[in-house]
Amino acid sequence: MDFCRTVELVYDALPLRPLRDRLIRAHMEKCPRCQARLLSRDEARGLLVAPDRLGDAEALWRRISAEAARLAAGEGPAPVRGAARYRWAAAAAPALVVAATGFWLLREVGRGGFDASAAGPADRFEIAYVRVGGTPAQTLVYRPQGTDTVFVWAGRTP
Amino acid sequence: MDEQDIIGGCLRGDPVSSRAMVESYGNLVLSVALNVVGNRQDAEDVCQETFLQVFRRLDRYDRARSFKTWLLTIAYRRSLDMVRKKRRFKDFSERARFEPAVLQRGGNPHPAAPEPLPSALLTKLSPRERTALTLWANEGYTAGDIADVLSCSASTARVYLFNARRKIKALLENDHGLLQNG
Repeated sequence: MDFCRTVELVYDALPLRPLRDRLIRAHMEKCPRCQARLLSRDEARGLLVAPDRLGDAEALWRRISAEAARLAAGEGPAPVRGAARYRWAAAAAPALVVAATGFWLLREVGRGGFDASAAGPADRFEIAYVRVGGTPAQTLVYRPQGTDTVFVWAGRTP
Repeated sequence: MDEQDIIGGCLRGDPVSSRAMVESYGNLVLSVALNVVGNRQDAEDVCQETFLQVFRRLDRYDRARSFKTWLLTIAYRRSLDMVRKKRRFKDFSERARFEPAVLQRGGNPHPAAPEPLPSALLTKLSPRERTALTLWANEGYTAGDIADVLSCSASTARVYLFNARRKIKALLENDHGLLQNG
């Protein structure tokens, strides 16, 4: 038995579960001592519910007959129709999301870009080069404190 | 009425044959479902869904195969669906356990005799292992037959059965040891 336990411990250390299960099973099927460590059929029956312990199947038929009659009449049973509805809903939901996203994207593209007037009032701002003799000049801008006067001094770039 | 008469009658939509099928195989399906899902209410739901599917799909049944195995394959799949559904709503079930109004929603709340239920030890097994053990112990199925129901190879079915037998035996021995020590 010690040998069997050692073998089992070694197998248990294997990382692949299917391989481990198969090796342990192969060992135990051949090993008479290990056979005693498996549940017998009689022991298993004592733990399970057998068909003959369930009494008359008449009650089952009463439960099933209404749905079976509806089925025979060509009507689909309610749970199945419900399941089909859920399948349709599951398929329709992603399609709706894609359609809504596509509509939104198209609407944004159709607007023709950024609307500057929508951004509200802003101070005018311009950049221009001061040129002397056709080339950008060396420029100084001076505004004395407390006045609105601005002096611009431009000279030829050395 | 033999098996082939029942199948033929059900294919023609004969209600007498439908009833004969439920009365012939109802307890078999119910016992497998009960052993896999673990409670009567869900097992009866599984049983109903199984037979309704059988009535709907009977034209697809290959008569070269065993009808019982085909029927049990459907019962096993419906049981697995139920186990998965139960797992998803586990939180709700745990809450419902403390709500008598929910517990009394169906069936007789005071049955005359206690209904047979599988041992709680079976909850330690996976649904596949429970099915393999049920078919082996109750129906005398071989690994090949179990493989047909579980839709796997015979070798894999043997592993499921072997694991089930080993785990439950170990649990039983452990319980026995605890009782002796206690």
